[in-house]
Amino acid sequence: MARFLVSRLAGVVLILLLVCLFTFGVFFVLSPDPAVQICGKNCTPELIERIRDNLGLDEPLLTQFLTFVSGLFAGRTYGVGESATHCAAPCLGYSFQSSQPVWEMITDRLPVSVTVAVGAAVLWLLVGVVGGLVGALKRGTWWDRSAMVVALAGISIPNYVFALLLQYVLVVELEWLPFPQAVPFSEDPTRWFQNYLMPWIVLAFAYASVYARLTRANVIDTLEENYVRTARAKGLPGRLVIRRHALRPALTPVVTIFGMDFAGLLGGALITETVFGLNGVGKMTADSIARNDQPVIMGVTLLAAAFVVVGNVVVDLVYTALDPRVRVRSA
Amino acid sequence: MTGGTTAREPAGEPLLRASGLVKEFRVPGRGGPLRRRDVLRAVDDVDLEVRAGETLALVGESGSGKSTTARLAARLLDPTAGTVTWEGADVTRLTGSALHHFRSGVQVVFQDPFSSLNPRHTVERIVTAPLLYQRRPIPGGARAFTRGLMERVGLNPDHSTRHPAQFSGGQAQRIGIARALAVGPRVVVCDEAVSALDVSVQARVINLLRRLQREEGLGYLFIAHDLAVVRQIADRVAVLHHGRVVESGDRDTLFAAPRHEYTRTLLAAVPRIRPEWEAARRARAAERATGAGRETEPTEDTR
Amino acid sequence: MSGATSEPLLRVEELTVTFDGPRGDVDVVRELSFALEPGGSLGIVGESGSGKSMTSLAVLGLLPAGARRTGRISLSGRELTALTERQLRRVRGDRVAMVFQDPLSSLNPYYTVGAQIAEAYRAHRQRATRREARRVAVEAMERVHIDDAARRVDHYPHQFSGGMRQRVMIAMALCTEPDLLIADEPTTALDVTVQAQILRLLTEVRAETGAGLVLITHDLAVVSEMTDEVLVMRQGECVERATAERLFSDPRHPYTRALLDAVPRLDDEVGELRSVDEGGAR
Repeated sequence: MARFLVSRLAGVVLILLLVCLFTFGVFFVLSPDPAVQICGKNCTPELIERIRDNLGLDEPLLTQFLTFVSGLFAGRTYGVGESATHCAAPCLGYSFQSSQPVWEMITDRLPVSVTVAVGAAVLWLLVGVVGGLVGALKRGTWWDRSAMVVALAGISIPNYVFALLLQYVLVVELEWLPFPQAVPFSEDPTRWFQNYLMPWIVLAFAYASVYARLTRANVIDTLEENYVRTARAKGLPGRLVIRRHALRPALTPVVTIFGMDFAGLLGGALITETVFGLNGVGKMTADSIARNDQPVIMGVTLLAAAFVVVGNVVVDLVYTALDPRVRVRSA
Repeated sequence: MTGGTTAREPAGEPLLRASGLVKEFRVPGRGGPLRRRDVLRAVDDVDLEVRAGETLALVGESGSGKSTTARLAARLLDPTAGTVTWEGADVTRLTGSALHHFRSGVQVVFQDPFSSLNPRHTVERIVTAPLLYQRRPIPGGARAFTRGLMERVGLNPDHSTRHPAQFSGGQAQRIGIARALAVGPRVVVCDEAVSALDVSVQARVINLLRRLQREEGLGYLFIAHDLAVVRQIADRVAVLHHGRVVESGDRDTLFAAPRHEYTRTLLAAVPRIRPEWEAARRARAAERATGAGRETEPTEDTR
Repeated sequence: MSGATSEPLLRVEELTVTFDGPRGDVDVVRELSFALEPGGSLGIVGESGSGKSMTSLAVLGLLPAGARRTGRISLSGRELTALTERQLRRVRGDRVAMVFQDPLSSLNPYYTVGAQIAEAYRAHRQRATRREARRVAVEAMERVHIDDAARRVDHYPHQFSGGMRQRVMIAMALCTEPDLLIADEPTTALDVTVQAQILRLLTEVRAETGAGLVLITHDLAVVSEMTDEVLVMRQGECVERATAERLFSDPRHPYTRALLDAVPRLDDEVGELRSVDEGGAR
């Protein structure tokens, strides 16, 4: 087990380094000169030269990359002498737009994205898995058909269309919810909840649809397994047959996919956050892309990659705990 | 088939020969990119020879390496070590079009007839495909060629435009045999070719294989786990256990006086009908055959 | 008829199993009748599509969705077809236990074999504690000669070989001391040497427990070694039923004769194998 973990973690580090290299390559090498961008309108050649010097843009690419990576782990100092600024340990550089440290920008906004992701995940797991179960166990009935029609809608309607529609109906027409406005939880929990409700629903709808279909298909397949027949032949009550012998095998793959989806969402829900004006990582990403704010884009990309890669390892560990076949092989 | 004459040299030089065959598989060890891989030796130093007109059977239980050996000999897998020669020439390292000559000489019939036949294709298309792959002309045109093949394997030639699903298991296996025969092979590798069939169907397919051998002088490399089936078709038998040949020899000798402990265990494990019941049944059958003219049999004959 | 002294263990009368097919109903079993005395053994042989497996599933009401059953099935005089699902559940695995063909797919990969055996026991002995059920599981595994049962009880199905898995299935069937064992192709997926061991085990546990056996198989030789009576099925119907000795030494029906002729033999002179004439093409 320890061996398994060590080798997986080594893999994580390797993949993150590759992602670093790739994003570094794409954003710093292929994009227009950052110095010109930072310099802005009142620019002089001397100023540009100073900025280039500060950022180390004249260094060889490899050196720039190594400086960037070591900045991540040990921090780095921009410039020399009096004008030098030190960027502390997980250093992702400074935004070209606001000159804020990227790491700080991300950590400021991460709670919003995590709130969106966690709330949506709870909702979609509940609705998706229950919907899929009902569909599978009441196969061919009115319940099944209507659940699957809704699921199909969830998959085919684009996120932003549903978001705008929901906002129009709930806020403008029915006036059930106030217009979204960021309020901290500690200040007004109700308002906070109302503010997040729509993003949760919008995100959860799409995911729940996929999960419902997946759950339904898995449960139906599992019910046809020979071991389910064995369980019935043993004289187990129907409820127990389903709970013990059908659900666990059917839901294990759902857990795997959930881990990946959730990890992906932690990196920010681009569209949903933007539509609802939530100041999360997703919205920041959208903004930084629009303004070609390279350090921010790179920071966010790295963060998202880290979530996905680490999420992958967590999923593997959870899967190992859930499926004895994997457990024994890797023990 | 070219060369309409039936009898080829019965013994003589082996057509297909494999010597020192070894196949190792890497099996995934522990997870992660730094994992160590374990090596499994599935086939361990196996020699075999198949001559025209004779059947070499490879028997063994699951995991004995018999199917892997067959695939190595048919050049469907690359051996880790050892050589495969065809008509005296080394074909072990040949690939692509250089293998066409070998593929025309050696064909394979697999266990599950349905999964090895494309369900969307007609018999005609299935049977002529091997020739098309090798860019060879179809003698007499696709339709006539297919009809001829179907007749040879005992299928109704009018069914050449049907799809595999429209045939029974035994018929589908006949299509598999027809496909193998299309390129005019001299050796056919039968990889558990009759194992999935019901006994009555199995008997017919074995009869068909025997007839084809008798009439066309085919050599068979016959892979099976069922010793009773092997007894029906083999001239020589090699018993595999954990990738090695533990005993090989002439069929009758091997069945009558097995030398290796494992062969004895294998033979002893085969379930059989009590000899006295068998004797009584045969006696009655013989009696019926001789007295058929007089007694109740006419009702049977007027079908 | 219902003389309390000579009630058969299992009596099946005019059993018909029907599937709703795309082109109307299809009878996979048609008006099948047989009886089995307590402690007796019956082999049901047939080729694929003969309906032998459906017959075995129909006894305990385990038919797949879309299949209907008519006729009467009684266990020691108790009519099973009249029972509710709840009542039938108490019979399944308790008085009648089943062993299936493929032991790997018939055992749940997510639970230890011990848990699965214990589950069968506790389904019928509600008052049994976990510890007691576990003890029963270990004992059942010892009875089917699984070495080191006390440790192996916590292993998962994939950690066993095919033959050992089938032993686990048999242990699971035996743990409730059933009166009747229905084994549906119990050795078909196994190697011949392992098959011999499992057949020996079945004979042995039957001698110990006195349980009746219904053995479903395609293999005539297996049946001839295992059961006193044999029923030959073809396309859902019984074509011949007799004691094993009579059926193998004096088969009466042409189909049985042809089937026996088609069986390849180890000690046979190699002649032209005869084969069964299939009635009409598919």
